[in-house]
Amino acid sequence: MRMRTIKNTLFFSILLLNAAFTGCMEQDYGNVEDFSATGTGLFITNEGNFQYGNATLSYYDPATNTVQNEIFYRANGYKLGDVAQSMTIYGGKGWIVTNNSHVIWAIDLNTFKEVGRITGLTAPRYIHFLSDEKAYVTQLWDNRIFIVNPRTYSITGYILIPDMTMESGSTEQMVQYGKYVYCNCWSYQNRIIKIDTETDRVVDELRIGIQPTSLVMDKSNKMWTITDGGYEGSPYGHEAASLYCIDAATFKVEKQFKFRFGDCPSEIQINGARDRLYWINNDVWSMEVTAPRLPVRPFLPYRNTRYYGLTVNPINDEVYVADAIDYQQQGKIYRYSSTGEFIDEFYVGVIPGAFCWKIN
Amino acid sequence: MKGIVNIFVTIAAVTIPIWGQAQRVKQLGNVTVTAHRPMKDIGVQKTTLDSAMLKENVALSMADVLTFNSAIFVKSFGRATLSTVAFRGTSPSHTQVTWNGMRINNPMLGMTDFSTIPSYFIDKASLLHGTSSVNETGGGLGGLVRLGTMPDAGEGINLQYIQGIGSFSTFDEFVRFAYGSDKWQISTRAVYSSSPNDYKYTNHDKKINIYDDDHHIIGQYYPTERNRSGAFKDLHILQEVYYDNLNGDRLGFNAWYVNSDRELPMLTTDYGADTDFENRQREQTFRGILSWDHNRSTWKTGIRGGYIHTSMAYDYKRDVGNGHMAPMTRSRSRINTLYGQFEGEYTPCRSWYFTANLSAHQHFVRSEDKNIILQDGDKAIVGYDKGRIELSGVLSAKWQPVDRLGMSVVVRQEMFGDKWAPVIPAFFIDGVISRRGNVMLKASVSRNYRFPTLNDLYFLPGGNPDLKNEHGISYDAGISFDTGKAGRYSLGGSLTWFDSHVDNWIIWLPTTKGFFSPRNIKQVHAYGLELKSNLGWQPVKDWYVDINGSYSWTPSVNKGDKMSPADQSVGKQLPYVPRHSASITGTLSWRSWSFMYKWCWYSERFTMSSNDYTITGHLPQYFMSNISIEKNLGFRPLDLSLKLAVNNLFDEDYISVLSRPMPGINFEFFIGITPKFRKSDKTTNIKY
Repeated sequence: MRMRTIKNTLFFSILLLNAAFTGCMEQDYGNVEDFSATGTGLFITNEGNFQYGNATLSYYDPATNTVQNEIFYRANGYKLGDVAQSMTIYGGKGWIVTNNSHVIWAIDLNTFKEVGRITGLTAPRYIHFLSDEKAYVTQLWDNRIFIVNPRTYSITGYILIPDMTMESGSTEQMVQYGKYVYCNCWSYQNRIIKIDTETDRVVDELRIGIQPTSLVMDKSNKMWTITDGGYEGSPYGHEAASLYCIDAATFKVEKQFKFRFGDCPSEIQINGARDRLYWINNDVWSMEVTAPRLPVRPFLPYRNTRYYGLTVNPINDEVYVADAIDYQQQGKIYRYSSTGEFIDEFYVGVIPGAFCWKIN
Repeated sequence: MKGIVNIFVTIAAVTIPIWGQAQRVKQLGNVTVTAHRPMKDIGVQKTTLDSAMLKENVALSMADVLTFNSAIFVKSFGRATLSTVAFRGTSPSHTQVTWNGMRINNPMLGMTDFSTIPSYFIDKASLLHGTSSVNETGGGLGGLVRLGTMPDAGEGINLQYIQGIGSFSTFDEFVRFAYGSDKWQISTRAVYSSSPNDYKYTNHDKKINIYDDDHHIIGQYYPTERNRSGAFKDLHILQEVYYDNLNGDRLGFNAWYVNSDRELPMLTTDYGADTDFENRQREQTFRGILSWDHNRSTWKTGIRGGYIHTSMAYDYKRDVGNGHMAPMTRSRSRINTLYGQFEGEYTPCRSWYFTANLSAHQHFVRSEDKNIILQDGDKAIVGYDKGRIELSGVLSAKWQPVDRLGMSVVVRQEMFGDKWAPVIPAFFIDGVISRRGNVMLKASVSRNYRFPTLNDLYFLPGGNPDLKNEHGISYDAGISFDTGKAGRYSLGGSLTWFDSHVDNWIIWLPTTKGFFSPRNIKQVHAYGLELKSNLGWQPVKDWYVDINGSYSWTPSVNKGDKMSPADQSVGKQLPYVPRHSASITGTLSWRSWSFMYKWCWYSERFTMSSNDYTITGHLPQYFMSNISIEKNLGFRPLDLSLKLAVNNLFDEDYISVLSRPMPGINFEFFIGITPKFRKSDKTTNIKY
């Protein structure tokens, strides 16, 4: 009798445990939304945390001051990936480079739905289009720039960068002048390389300061890059950061503006008319491309935070600056007029790092 | 016996899940409930893991054991990948870990990977929560995990071999050779585990496209993938020699060698091909300790000397064509640690107990993180080469004026490098408020400091030599009881409230130069409740039920200043710290059969400091259930043990960390063989 009681107790206990502890997961998958963003808008790529796979894409409509976050996931039902580095629009599609997912997404600009993807990359950073069937993709941890065919979403070749190993490989942003593409080499590098797009070879390089971070081209075909000067203790060196003006035709430095030692400028941007530069150096700074010296007063003063991303509306020169806050929460975007007056602010995803304008 | 309550709850004839004990029954405890408890433990909040928990399964790491047998948070990045442990809402680097008295936290990172500690190498383990860790070490703002081995090889020659064969081509081998006599105890253990670890899971983070001939997407689906790049091969060898002169002196030697070769699994969001990349971590570690203990009736002393060598290699490679794998990252680190410790205890009378302890750890670290080409074309390595001496001394006085009341004062002083931390004081008190049920109240308070790790200070790029110590103040108070009836049941439980404040919390944040750098940022207020209970019940002859449960409620709140006007993290729960966690382990034994049910629960965790309910902002709660059934068989030449373990019983689709897939239901079958070398042997003498 007692044995029977024990057996019954055991049986019902297991039954109870089974009922109590199963079916408790609360994960929702696969719900997708239909978007129709037809006007001018601003895409924000939120890097997310490295190795978290929490990169997201946001879309802001400046006409209505409304933002939609996580639009890639909401439109497609799967994640954007790990570290969304940059976004470029070409051929009516948005091309999002997701660095540590080794993928470039192509999305419809209005519905945000995927229309294709390029895989097989090492650690892609930026994409630059030469034609409907040819684009360059720069890489981190690779001494090659990948050549891709955007029509077939395939890799078609490589450009080997001289004097660069895989381990110290770093090619970044690209600008074009005629048949030449120029690219800044950043991590433990100090040069701008010149690529002949007909032969897909590096034909020249220009040594400048330590770690040029970003690159833009002005209306006079002068390239502007800003170096960060390295860091204290680096075997590669540590120096004052500089803003360089390089003539694209002669591939020579025309001007160098030195920052104070210890300053850490980054994110050089240019307006739609390509006659005014913007960058971050604690504050947000701005100057005409013809200015003889660095400005003494910032365009936007420091706001007790560390700005992480910057863009300028190519239509009206409004300035958008990204605050990553503690890099572990939704970042915030501040919108200012061309004269620096506050217009709007909105939260986006984790570590908003890059912007992309859709102009209609 | 006046003033002392001795309730001997002898539960005999209980089989426990120990290999090779077919004919053997264990007396699971002369559970002695006494008001004259060890003075060493006055006011201490401790969780002890018994041998049944530690030796339940040869394939388990200490991370697995702690997951199901305590309410501390085990953050696992996957099967056989990094698993860290955090107490009371703190971070993994706030958990100190000792092995036979020697601190084994990685001095570069501050934390310990519990997935690399096989539970079969640990004979005794206990957790000292919060304040209680000050008795043993400094820097344990969360607590201390104390691991150790024991000189308990039994009499004569003993041998044991266990093989486990499991899902995903997993093979676990364990062998132990032991020799014991009155004076000598010698034991050699080895564990080898290997698996491609390529378990299947449905990847809900990505979709595979179906294209038409014009490369238009005409369909998509969530792929069923295998865990990619997750293979591992781990070898552990543990050699122990103990000599006891039977006159109060004992010499000991422990040497533990680890050779681990693990791939690092790809994220669920990775669209790269696993054949294109190799992401691998290799580790060789040697830990050795020589000890001498000298025991006398009223005092004892001990001296230990030790050495740790760890060589870590991390390689991230890319196939650049023709199968040539070019290195993208090639990190190397070497750590050499010299350790020395002196300890003494003195009991002048029944009501006083004094201890003193001085330990030194001298670290030499060489970290090579990246190979670069300099501006002049030469090559260089980015890294650092540093050493640091870490001294820690402690004095304690414990006083038990009456049997019902105990008090303890602990004063610790630490010096790391050339920097001294302020004195760390701690006070403990406990008292029996009812002899019936042995109801006891405990309380303690302490201040504590944690020095930055060597990576925090010197890592290139980003190391910050100007970091301050993290420091905190902790309080806890609790009530516990133990009761039982001889031969029928034992029942115990405790409820503890804790409250701690940590200032200058160190976190690594990105810089505008593209790398991370640590800063003293947050002030954290962690508080909550810990509930523990255990029941041993023998309803009828040959049947035994043993249930252990624990629960923690752990708000861990950012109380720092806003980092920017837009900061939404102040007043929010820290990322990856669950507010609630619980575990239950139940064992039902009948003669030589044993059935075990293990269950754990973690409430939702936020991945963002602002606690947003975005798609990637929080991880849902999960429950996990494992079972095992075991049968012991006795034959003349050997004892045989057969066991089937089922993990993730309900095939739950869950993750512990974002983008890190976990395995569904999986199985492992074990066979244990224990030869009998002497005719008279009816049972093994190996005790665990």
